[in-house]
Amino acid sequence: MKNLKFIILIIGVGLFTSCIKDDFVEDTIEATLRITTNLESIEINSKFQFDAMYLNNVGQETDVQLEWSSSDPDVISISDDGLAEAISLGTAIISVTYTEADKRYEDEISLSVGEATVQGVNRISGNITSTSSYVLEGAFVYSETSSGVDVAFMEDYNASTALPGLYLYLSNNRNSIADALEIGAVETFSGVHLYSIDNVAFNEYKYLVYFCKPFNVKVGDGALNF
Amino acid sequence: MKNIFNIIILSVFVICSTYAGGPWPQPKGKGYFKLSEWWTVFSEHYTDTGAKDPNLTTGVFNTAIYAEYGLTDRLTTVVNVPFLSRNYMNNLRSATTNEIIVNGEAINTIGDIDLGLKFGLTKGRIPIALTLTLGIPTGETGAGSLNALQTGDGEFNQMLQLDAGGGFNLGKLSAYLSGFVGVNNRTNGYSEELRLGLELGVGIFNQRLWLSGRLNIVESFKNGDTAETVTSTSLFANNSEFTTLGIEGNLYVTKNIGISAGVAGALRGEIIAAAPSYTVGIFYDMNR
Repeated sequence: MKNLKFIILIIGVGLFTSCIKDDFVEDTIEATLRITTNLESIEINSKFQFDAMYLNNVGQETDVQLEWSSSDPDVISISDDGLAEAISLGTAIISVTYTEADKRYEDEISLSVGEATVQGVNRISGNITSTSSYVLEGAFVYSETSSGVDVAFMEDYNASTALPGLYLYLSNNRNSIADALEIGAVETFSGVHLYSIDNVAFNEYKYLVYFCKPFNVKVGDGALNF
Repeated sequence: MKNIFNIIILSVFVICSTYAGGPWPQPKGKGYFKLSEWWTVFSEHYTDTGAKDPNLTTGVFNTAIYAEYGLTDRLTTVVNVPFLSRNYMNNLRSATTNEIIVNGEAINTIGDIDLGLKFGLTKGRIPIALTLTLGIPTGETGAGSLNALQTGDGEFNQMLQLDAGGGFNLGKLSAYLSGFVGVNNRTNGYSEELRLGLELGVGIFNQRLWLSGRLNIVESFKNGDTAETVTSTSLFANNSEFTTLGIEGNLYVTKNIGISAGVAGALRGEIIAAAPSYTVGIFYDMNR
């Protein structure tokens, strides 16, 4: 009888401690408003649709009511829904704002009106760094292509091969992949290699994030400093 | 090669062995049988640099039957059957929104079965025994949405182990000291391993209670595959190694039946869970 009680105790301990519970990731970030249209100048007498995205306090894109404005409507005018019209030669600052309770979010770009529409900077460089004990380092170039973006890693790229299930993401929250775009599994662990990602705007994401899927932990990241 | 998840989970099984072990084969027709529960829950692991990194909280629970039975006075058959093995991972939630980012998952299956033969090479004051253990891949190698849950490693391994030891008196107490060296030959791209162990046991209360301490070392030959050399999407981890220290108590509540409890943990490690493991069990010893 005593032994039976002990066996029941064993099973009880097992059942009590083996339930699925919750782990939490600290993923709070500053909410931001970002103009995603990447232009340096706009052709006179032409129109151009501007876009912007509001990212909440976990980096999740949220539909909000935006307000567009121009610093000089005689040079560039802009409608409530972001349709800009180049009226005369000159320079203007296009702004977008969103107000939530007492907090105001704003972004702006400076645009000139000229003979042709010219894209803004569409190639930046950065560095991947490890945020864990696993080796992860190297320089990269992030550039816009006709169909999306390219991420090209340089010769100094090096990643630990000890980690299972290493994946690369584009994210707006460097601590979470909740609303991130999965680029794919890491197949190259050193040296030059390239990822081509379609249907992504150049400044749609802010970070490259390396994440170990089986352990569900972040391994490293690199900021996209536009 | 099959998708193989982390050896972290599997390696921890070794940390707190429930085996009686040692260089002493069972006498012919005698045996030792044990029903045990072994478990660990870990939210950190040792990385390949030996440092500790966090991971999603993971639990492994094994309910197993272990048996030694003397076929002859020198040859003993050894079987370990984890007939219920549970592996789970917690939900991952946003601390900001409380929304689930990754759903927790669990599997409950049979684990990998070990079959072995122990042969007593010498008797006398310091007996020596040779044991061949075959690891049968009966467990689940990859379940859940990411194939990250497993109760087995999917490989057939063969371990050859040499045990030596002896009994002595520690004052008025009976005691024993044993050690082993083994080589574990693994398949499916896993690295081979060198295994070393030392165990000291002391019998108190007229040998009704045996307290033992175990030191186990696993050194990887690091001659297997890595994430770079297997297919790109494989969830592969290899080259696990560790040094663990454990204590266990075995109390005879009747002449032949007893209960046991133990705890063990890693002193250092690479690609292994960084948390203690526990075991409780009930055993039947035909030798008393």
